[in-house]
Amino acid sequence: MAPITPFSASEISEKARRDLLLLLEGVRGKKNLVLEKALAGSVNLLVKSSTLQEYGVDKFFFLENDNVNSSQRNVVFLVRGEKAKTVMAVANQIKRLRRDSQIEHEFSIFWVPRRTLVSDQLLEEAGVLGEASVSEWPLFFVPLADDVLSLEVDDAVTDLYLRQDPTSIYLAARALMQQQQKHGLFPRIIGKGDNGKRLADLLIRMRTEVTAGESSNSASPSFLGLAPSSTVDSLIVIDRAVDFPTVLLTQLTYEGLIDEVFNISANQTEVDSSVVGGAAPQPGQTGSASTSMKRKILIDPKDSLYATLGDANFAVVGNLLNKAARRLQSSTGRDQLAAKTTAELRDFVAKLPGYQAEQASLKLHTSLAEEIIKFTHTDIFRRSLEVQQNIMSGLDPTTQHDTINELIDRDVPLSAILRLLCLESTSNAGMRPKDLEIFKRTVIQAYGSQHILTLSNLEKMDLLQPRGGSGLGATPAAKPGSVTNYTPLRKSLKIWDDDVNEAEPNDISYTFSGYAPLSVRIVQSIIQKHTLANAIKPPSDPRAAAQANPLAQGLRIFDDASKYVRGVTFDETQTGEEKAIKARSMLNGSHNDGAKTIVVFFLGGVTRAEIAALRFIGGKLKEVGGEGRGSRIVVCSTNIIRGGSLVDGAIETAQFTA
Amino acid sequence: MSKPTASWEKLGDKFYRKIQLYTAVFDQDLELENYNVVGAPYSGAVAIYRDENKITTYRGGQVSKASIDIYSCAGKLIRRINWDKGTIKGLGWSEDEKLLVVTSDGTVRCYYDLQGDFMPFTLGHGADEHGVQSCKFYGSGFVALLGNNNLISVSSYTEPRPKLLAIPPTEPVVSWSIIPPAYSLSRSVEVILAIGETLYVVDATEAENRNFDAGPFRHISVSPRGEFLAFYTDDGKVWVVSGDWSDKLSEYDSKVKTVPKDMQWCGSNAVALAWEDEVHLIGPNGAVTKFYYDAWIHLLPDVDGLRLLTNDVCEYLQKVPDASVEVFRIGSDSPAANLLEASSLLDQKSPKADDLIQLIRPSLAEAVDTCIRAAANEYNIHWQKQLLRAASFGKSVLDLYSSDDFVDTCDTLRVLNAVRFYEVGLPISYEQYRRLTPEKLVDRLTNRNEYLLALRVAAYLHLPTSHIHGHWAQQKVRVSTETEEQICALIVKKLHGKPGISFEEIARAAYDEGRVRLATELLNYEPRAGKQVPLLLDMKEDNIALDKAIESGDTDLVYHVLLHLRKKLPLASFFRVINSRPVASALVESSASDQDHELLKDLYYQDDRRLDGSNLLLSQALASPSVASAIDKLKSASTYLRDSRDAAATFQRQALDDAQKLLRLQEQFEKDLGPRDGVTSPAPPTAAASSSFVGLSAHHTVSALLRQGHTKRAQKVQSEFKIPEKTFAWLRLRALVAERHWTELEELAKAKKSPIGWEPYFNEVLGAGNTRVASVFIPKCTGLSVAERVEMWMKCGLVVRAGEEASKAKDRALLEEVAAKASGSAKVEVERLLGMMGKR
Repeated sequence: MAPITPFSASEISEKARRDLLLLLEGVRGKKNLVLEKALAGSVNLLVKSSTLQEYGVDKFFFLENDNVNSSQRNVVFLVRGEKAKTVMAVANQIKRLRRDSQIEHEFSIFWVPRRTLVSDQLLEEAGVLGEASVSEWPLFFVPLADDVLSLEVDDAVTDLYLRQDPTSIYLAARALMQQQQKHGLFPRIIGKGDNGKRLADLLIRMRTEVTAGESSNSASPSFLGLAPSSTVDSLIVIDRAVDFPTVLLTQLTYEGLIDEVFNISANQTEVDSSVVGGAAPQPGQTGSASTSMKRKILIDPKDSLYATLGDANFAVVGNLLNKAARRLQSSTGRDQLAAKTTAELRDFVAKLPGYQAEQASLKLHTSLAEEIIKFTHTDIFRRSLEVQQNIMSGLDPTTQHDTINELIDRDVPLSAILRLLCLESTSNAGMRPKDLEIFKRTVIQAYGSQHILTLSNLEKMDLLQPRGGSGLGATPAAKPGSVTNYTPLRKSLKIWDDDVNEAEPNDISYTFSGYAPLSVRIVQSIIQKHTLANAIKPPSDPRAAAQANPLAQGLRIFDDASKYVRGVTFDETQTGEEKAIKARSMLNGSHNDGAKTIVVFFLGGVTRAEIAALRFIGGKLKEVGGEGRGSRIVVCSTNIIRGGSLVDGAIETAQFTA
Repeated sequence: MSKPTASWEKLGDKFYRKIQLYTAVFDQDLELENYNVVGAPYSGAVAIYRDENKITTYRGGQVSKASIDIYSCAGKLIRRINWDKGTIKGLGWSEDEKLLVVTSDGTVRCYYDLQGDFMPFTLGHGADEHGVQSCKFYGSGFVALLGNNNLISVSSYTEPRPKLLAIPPTEPVVSWSIIPPAYSLSRSVEVILAIGETLYVVDATEAENRNFDAGPFRHISVSPRGEFLAFYTDDGKVWVVSGDWSDKLSEYDSKVKTVPKDMQWCGSNAVALAWEDEVHLIGPNGAVTKFYYDAWIHLLPDVDGLRLLTNDVCEYLQKVPDASVEVFRIGSDSPAANLLEASSLLDQKSPKADDLIQLIRPSLAEAVDTCIRAAANEYNIHWQKQLLRAASFGKSVLDLYSSDDFVDTCDTLRVLNAVRFYEVGLPISYEQYRRLTPEKLVDRLTNRNEYLLALRVAAYLHLPTSHIHGHWAQQKVRVSTETEEQICALIVKKLHGKPGISFEEIARAAYDEGRVRLATELLNYEPRAGKQVPLLLDMKEDNIALDKAIESGDTDLVYHVLLHLRKKLPLASFFRVINSRPVASALVESSASDQDHELLKDLYYQDDRRLDGSNLLLSQALASPSVASAIDKLKSASTYLRDSRDAAATFQRQALDDAQKLLRLQEQFEKDLGPRDGVTSPAPPTAAASSSFVGLSAHHTVSALLRQGHTKRAQKVQSEFKIPEKTFAWLRLRALVAERHWTELEELAKAKKSPIGWEPYFNEVLGAGNTRVASVFIPKCTGLSVAERVEMWMKCGLVVRAGEEASKAKDRALLEEVAAKASGSAKVEVERLLGMMGKR
């Protein structure tokens, strides 16, 4: 019997796909589909638009554009129902269509991921609830890769930290609960951060609710479902507020840089066709080229070439591309064709389509890489990277102020400046109040008065704050646990790695060319204790390495470190009835020892560089004889973020008009 | 024991059997001929109501009240629903035994249990105006025919959405029927209307004339699974057509002048015609068999047969299942028949039993299967036993046989016999039981308040019992006369800790009954907040509801409660409620920032959150359409903070005042200079497109002024806002470069010092492509190394100057590098320099 893999990406996407198509099938005839923009990416990822057309979808509209027309009798809305704003938008469009259209429409609303009481209430008040048939598309996790599941809640960060709206925590809990019901409870929930704690509490609470609620329709599965899983090792929850700097830094993996330069959303990015069309644009003309066509590119983790590139440090991507090109050339080269038996020739021809696909992918990535190189060679990029590296390596941040000021004078985009300022603030437990005030004034003068709001938003998110708490006559020493203090962590978790090796990475620090993301270090301190212990304190005798390092005992590193990290620490174990555990392990076959899944959940978003770092750890765990016993890491998150999107959430876009 | 075949009738080459289920069903006084009778699917309850069009016998004194009476098949009155709500135009059952009553004004009442509780809804679409004529029901919905021939379809009772189907012609409808969505070709409900001579098929999109001109059709009937359609023509003929209308399968001439009062399918192979006391059963190829009764007869169709109901008897007419035919048919020599024979011989201790077994040995397994199947389909307990005994005997002879079917059938028959008992009155057939599923059967028992039997059945079949307990508890709180404490204690004692019990439902039942305290008490045992909240709101326990909602972590619930409170409470008390609950106020804030600024303003004010209040005013300023109003808003934003003394507020005030100052200046510039036309600014995206000064930041204002050459004004802004020299230098440089003011840049180069050094000048000008002007700045970059300067020269294409620079520094290696890159006359020159250096 093949073991059941928990958190299987293909299973989850297949289910989501089926659910959607089933819903669409329920609406007879041709229909117009109105999508929320934020959902378009996920839908595209799960279902090809040709398939949607087979299921009767005639035209696509964006909810935000408010332009759905009356060309079809059936109108289907596919939107998230959590926010009153979107609900009202749906209600208004239904009303508009009903008023303007000659024909009588059939409205269907598919709420994602659930039908909410509020939506019902608002629709009823708007007088359209009776008009529309309402159902829900339970899309929680959207698999972005085999080991990456995202809830794709785009505004999770602003919701959680700016508006203190815990909706995404609840959705996360629901999503995880679904998996628990299928694969059993997480034997252990461990993590860091206030919101993380809330998530853990919710999960435990939901467990009792589920026991009380759903067993009436199926007695046996849930009885088993609520016993600890034998295939999942633990759930590690990291609250983003624990570690903002990692997000604010420029990611230096290939995938991370694609995200920084072109913005990836739901594995898709839009790149100027002049770039990927192959013809390299003339230098100096990039400005005018931006008006030309954009091409959608799918960042496909299944592409074999990309699989080797994506998580590599950008510095070595050139070499990798080179190698791939040479290999491809030699295998498709003329010498391969010459002097072959027909059997070999047939073999070769059979492989040709594969080569062609690889060639196309090679071409694509070469042009992308070229474009990124152009970006990384700009003076501004180098300057801001320099500031970042200096701050993270522990230099006095005030030495960087001149450079930041110069960047402001040179009018670089605001979000880049804010990233640097927030980085300084978050990695040093706040800024000197005087410096902060000067910077605030400069930002307002340089970018406009509307950014008074931006700055106040950043302060609310704790991204930018004066040292020693949030003002109000506070004591100079911050309360423990209210901010992350990087100075001691630099040593106790080896956050900064001076001899980083980008080509042959031996530590996760390769993802930022020196800085080892704190969030991932915390994960490491739980699941890869020995390696980390040896990295922090190399044993005098290399042979005694594995067993002896005292740091590796228990959760010592984790406990030590969490003293300096913001937010509460929690560690819960979930147990169930003995009988049920036995039954479960019998059902799943007796692979108790190996190949368990470790789920790492990032509340408030994860960066692509962190994913790369976790994959690196995962790779090490899988190694035979390693301490992980072949465990598999699955990264889950509310969404994928980058520094830009973190601060963009705070930036006020309105400005004064005449 | 009489042979089972005694009740068989031959119809063509098939057998039909009429099973007497119950006798003495109804009171003899009940004039069944004056009643409309409908039966729930799967041998469920029977509802009857008096047909208003028929004359009533007057019984002195006794005022007959109109009512809908629900009986079990055995004639036990389950419920009487008094009816005074208008003319009933449609009465029907759903699959899960909900009773639907449709009145002529289009009101539908859905009695969801058998206890008389109902949910009303209306059909709309002009039903009240034109009146409902009649209704046809199927498993999960129904179609109503209006006076103007419009058809309204309802496809679900949980969320009824009456939909208008396509409009058929308006001539009078002779008869009509529907094909349920599950069996129609289009997978949505289809209606067949007999209008005039022909037939129309109507679905959601079109009404199609089928061009059948043999009409008018007096009756239309659709077989249980939609595979056949039967029509009764005016001249007494029955036509059978396949469900896709492709084949006309048979035609039968009844040769009767009177039109039958009903025509229904009996299973999928025969059509029954009913006159007052006579039933004709018509099989394929015109075969017919007739039954006569001495009382008025009603036909209640079911999936695999037909219930016949008179005052005296309730009978079930069905095609004899194949297995039974095989076993019991007279003269049958099938292995199964022999096995049954052998088993009875064994009982008589006859040695022939073994002979028979040996005879059928090769097909014994099959015989056992047949006996088991025949037993399952048998109503008579004696024959069930005989058949099972035979199967068991056959099984014992076989070496390898899986007994699963045997055990299942034994279990099932036990359950079936229990529910067929006349006091329960569910004469469900084996086939129906399979389709209904055991869970639904338990539900039916629960709805009939047969809790003990339901529990026993559930336990016997290993089904969850939570629902039964819940139902019991609800019933308990409704009818019990004990004190509330006792009831609560009793319910909690019995149900607490059992999985799947919904205390919320019990509490709601108690609340609906007016037992509020009991409801609150019971609700405490409900672990799911999502369930508690709505009831708490209904009970006006708003604060508890809000706390429970927050506890659940589900923001939807919190929003739900908040919306409710917002509508109900005056603002001040609303704020008081949310103030102590940070999650709630965060959510109020978050949703109000999208929609309700006034609320937000009040919230900040009463909470004394000055900074947030002023921010709110600032964002309103940003949204205001004119500069004047924006300045006003900014002013009030600033005064809002007047009384605050802390650093943040002071800073904010100053920033706001600066913003006003800037706006005034910008307005002034605009008046003086006109809008900045023709400026294509590479300015930040926030300031794009706009061609006005207003909205620009201080820096951008300076830059825009410089570009237009208004240096004085730019300097004024600089001093006004204390823009540092460095910044100003950068702004000037970039503005000049952007406008290609090369001469002015060269002017600048004459200055002695620059606050930002000279390198940026070189870089920016070079970036704009002017190598000549760029080169002007190279000698001024004294802070740089020679190598860097050489490279700068090279970048400008001035190889000779690069060479000179290198030779001045006496750097031979560098010079050679330059030489390597040089060409043409420059090469000659550089080599000369190299030569010179070599000499020295």
